[in-house]
Amino acid sequence: MRDEHITAMLDDAPLSTFGESELAVMRSHIAGCDRCRRAFEAARVSSLMLKERAAEEFEPSPFFQTRVLAALREHRAANEAANETWTLGRLWKAAGLLVSSMAVTVAALAVFTFVAPQATTTTTQEVAASSADNSYSAEAVILGEGGASDEKMSYGQVLTTLYGSDDGAAK
Amino acid sequence: MEHASDLELARRSLAGDESAFAEIVRLYGPRVFRTASRFFRRREQVEEAAQEIFLKAFTQLETYEGRGPLEGWLTRIATNTCLNLTRSARRRPELMAADLSEDQSEWLENRMADAATELQRSFERGRVAADLTERVLETMSSDDRLVLMMVDGEDASVKEVSEATGWSESKVKVQAFRARRRMREAVERLLAHGRRGTGKSLESAGER
Repeated sequence: MRDEHITAMLDDAPLSTFGESELAVMRSHIAGCDRCRRAFEAARVSSLMLKERAAEEFEPSPFFQTRVLAALREHRAANEAANETWTLGRLWKAAGLLVSSMAVTVAALAVFTFVAPQATTTTTQEVAASSADNSYSAEAVILGEGGASDEKMSYGQVLTTLYGSDDGAAK
Repeated sequence: MEHASDLELARRSLAGDESAFAEIVRLYGPRVFRTASRFFRRREQVEEAAQEIFLKAFTQLETYEGRGPLEGWLTRIATNTCLNLTRSARRRPELMAADLSEDQSEWLENRMADAATELQRSFERGRVAADLTERVLETMSSDDRLVLMMVDGEDASVKEVSEATGWSESKVKVQAFRARRRMREAVERLLAHGRRGTGKSLESAGER
């Protein structure tokens, strides 16, 4: 042990916790080891310094309790204000959403009221016109209208168109 | 019984009873101040930190279930709050002998001279030593500071540090080992400079 350096031992525990036998071993080593003697001295001074620093303590002043309670009230008030702002913010957002949805509904109703009926009229007229153009109706065939269609139809097809329904009814 | 009253105080505080919280501050203020004093040196800083600790404790009061004393629960909050407050602060660069005040250099020289004698403590000498210690600790991390102050300064056990910080006991031991080495090396450098500056030697001090 006498030949072993003591630096690791010094760092392992506070100097004040070593017993007499351990200190004796250290002293016997540092008598012949300059490096460990410096380390031992520094450890001893460090220990003294830390004891002095740890001895410094503050007691709470008589006003400390009042100060903490005042800070607590302030903290609570700030929290409440923050909560209130948050609630107002949420209300404001909800109101905004409501107004937006109402505006969309009004716009949709306006579209259905003013634009949609015109579109329906146009469609009816278009259907009527397309019915009038039907080249396969019996009237068109009898009256010989839709010349272009006549050319495409065979004679048999014309007869079937004119008498087919009558035959079915007679049977 | 004590735990029950702690729990009762906590419950009443949570229910909005200000006098119950005032009682907590009165009972445990000294302990919280002692914890904050490990990290801060000026009274205003200690008070500021203590106030923050109590506010934080109030906001976390519902987590206190009365399984242990409120004092231990508060000490843990105090230690972690102070660690957080000081971790963000920038560490000072290495302390050189030239940075020391005359009083501090003299104190170090006297420690070398008084190597074999019992210290005669006085308020003034204690203050100079504490100033010097603070300057050395300012160059170290908050974790190093805490463990040195508690284990070496206040003779706290590894278990006590573990309870106050929430660290494992092995972490406390490793942290203490490293912090002690860093502190010893910093002081060794200061002493070496002092020896060179004053011509005094440890050898002569050790012979006394």
